[in-house]
Amino acid sequence: MSNYHEYVLVVEDDVQIRNFICYSLRAEGFRCVTADTGEGALSLLVSEPIDLMLLDLGLPDVDGMEVIRKVREWSEMPIIVVSARDQDKEKAAALDEGADDYLTKPFSATELLARIRVALRHFYRQNGSKTPTSYQVGGLRLDLAKRLVFLDDVQLHVTPMEYKLLVLFFKNTGKVLTTKYILKEIWGAGYGSDTQVLRALMAGLRRKIEKNPAKPRYIMTEIGVGYRLVDE
Amino acid sequence: MPGQQNKNVWDMAYGLLLTIALLITASAVGYLFRAAGIPETNIVIVYLLAVLLTARITRGYVFGLFASVIATGAFNYLFTEPYFAFRVNAPSYIITFVIMTITALITSALTSHAKQNALEAREKEAETKALYTLTDRLTDAADLHDIAGIAASTISDVFCCRAACLYFDENGVPEQTYIQQASPGKLVRRKLSNPEKIKRWIEELSTGYHIGTDFYDWPIHGREMILGLIRLPKESAALMSEAQTRLLHSMIESIALAMDRLRSIQQGIKSNEEAVQERYRGNLLRAISHDLRTPLSGIMGTAEMLMDMTQREDPRYALAEGIHKEADWLHSLVENILNLTRLQGGKLTLNKQMEAVEEVVGGAVSHMAKRSPKHEITVNTPGELLLVPMDARLIEQVLINLLDNAIRHTPPQNEISVSVIEDKKKGCAVFSVKDRGEGIAAADLPHIFQMFYVSPLKHTDARYGIGLGLAICDAIIKAHGGGIEAHNRTDGPGAEFIFTLPMEMNNHEQLS
Repeated sequence: MSNYHEYVLVVEDDVQIRNFICYSLRAEGFRCVTADTGEGALSLLVSEPIDLMLLDLGLPDVDGMEVIRKVREWSEMPIIVVSARDQDKEKAAALDEGADDYLTKPFSATELLARIRVALRHFYRQNGSKTPTSYQVGGLRLDLAKRLVFLDDVQLHVTPMEYKLLVLFFKNTGKVLTTKYILKEIWGAGYGSDTQVLRALMAGLRRKIEKNPAKPRYIMTEIGVGYRLVDE
Repeated sequence: MPGQQNKNVWDMAYGLLLTIALLITASAVGYLFRAAGIPETNIVIVYLLAVLLTARITRGYVFGLFASVIATGAFNYLFTEPYFAFRVNAPSYIITFVIMTITALITSALTSHAKQNALEAREKEAETKALYTLTDRLTDAADLHDIAGIAASTISDVFCCRAACLYFDENGVPEQTYIQQASPGKLVRRKLSNPEKIKRWIEELSTGYHIGTDFYDWPIHGREMILGLIRLPKESAALMSEAQTRLLHSMIESIALAMDRLRSIQQGIKSNEEAVQERYRGNLLRAISHDLRTPLSGIMGTAEMLMDMTQREDPRYALAEGIHKEADWLHSLVENILNLTRLQGGKLTLNKQMEAVEEVVGGAVSHMAKRSPKHEITVNTPGELLLVPMDARLIEQVLINLLDNAIRHTPPQNEISVSVIEDKKKGCAVFSVKDRGEGIAAADLPHIFQMFYVSPLKHTDARYGIGLGLAICDAIIKAHGGGIEAHNRTDGPGAEFIFTLPMEMNNHEQLS
């Protein structure tokens, strides 16, 4: 079942986790190279044709954030960060720094592969030549040309703000968007960090697209970090 | 103040006698001059000298002025014709008298003034010296006790009495003993009968000092509060001149400065130590979290890998699954212990923000759905958006713990539900987690939120946690200013956990 051929760099200082990740990746057909330090990762990144990086934030030598910053200077490759459960701030900061997604330890192989798939798909879509005219996730469909939203083929009436928000989510399907990023994209850079307006907008949108806003089917809340539109 | 009056009377008598003696001497010299045939202008000069000497030797202006008038009178009476009468034959003497009186007055005034200035300068110098000695010694003080000792001995030396100093500690509580100079160079500690009472006196003071039965007490005012008091024996304190009182105040000011400085240094050291401790604590927690969680993640991943490699029928699959489960349990235990350590340190800073209830509940429910896909959780949140101030991650943790509890005690097909309503009357949001499990045994109910409480009714080999999950919930909710309770459902089997969160931020809390 070798579906993939991408070259993945795994930056992780724990040998067991490294082995387990590489095994799971190779089983899916990925090629895999490992580094146990940030410096090692950076030198591999320049010498090898890496397609995607899995980066543990708690590295022994350099701050994981620093690695992301350096990579983002010259590459748009998908970066997925791995962190401990109580590092919400680091997660959000890593995402704002340019990471594409995050995984919380301990994670299962299924979860890991799902995130990698999403990140790669997103990356190819962004770099693809043709812009799609519509997006669809489950029963939720967005017609970009007509600027219309459909839920189970019934047209929904959404406000311009809600539409803008939906477009942002659909363009980043499966990806976590930090609160800070969404605020900047929807309201502009000068708007500050008033998360309450976003909460209110989100609540309104959820009441239109979700059957039960507290058990969302489409837009999930990542507590302390941001939101994610599910990807199937 | 009888002592002061006595002293003044003596001063007066002494000055008067001296003035008279000098004038008599001047008159005697005058007679000698006249006998020797020296012109009488010289006698005037001799009188002027007597006036000058009087002003120089006696205290104040009074005797000088007095001597000036008497000298003119004496000259008139003794040396101008007609002798022994206050009359003159030659009117030109009138001019002599007027000029003589004016000269004598000016001379005496100038002399007294110069003398006064010299005296003041000397006092100032002594004052400066005393203050300098005090500050010089105070800079060497290592603690409040040292300062009190230095204060007592320096003030004793300057005012020649047995001064004492009582200091209050950082919390404003007076020491049980005060320090007094018993004899030069010897300090003793004396027991106070009721330091609290003295402190009250001092605090309620409206005048500059407090007059006791045997002592005068001066408060030492610091920047924020009274730092202590200086006590002088009544007999010395009563005799103090204005200049001395001024000096004492300056000295107390210096002592207050020294005490304040020492306190801020001590506070600096203390907060520094606390910061270091906090850092150690943080490092330790990080070390635990890294060194325990990382290998556990490795074990779980590896077990998953093994499960992936084996067929389900293979007995090795069950073994690998067992490893995975145990490691998962151990992992949640480590998480709980870490959470609890943070909560119990009392240093937990809640990152409170206005959060949408539906999002937090949704987050917890989707987390549980991933972990236990067999259980269906029903969710009911208000139709309107409900924003409640909370630390979202911690409240999510509470919901996860409660749901985890419910799932462990409820068969998969039975109902588990989460609901939230706003109680407008009480001004709080009420969260409720219900299950249709076996419920809570009556014997367990009172202890259920206690740390490390494990029901004695359960089999010891059953993995029901080590009684941390609910203790954590309790700690988190209490930190939010809410309440949590548990009871069995009245509408059938099962348990219900209810917790509340206040809708209002406390005044001292800020949106972060």
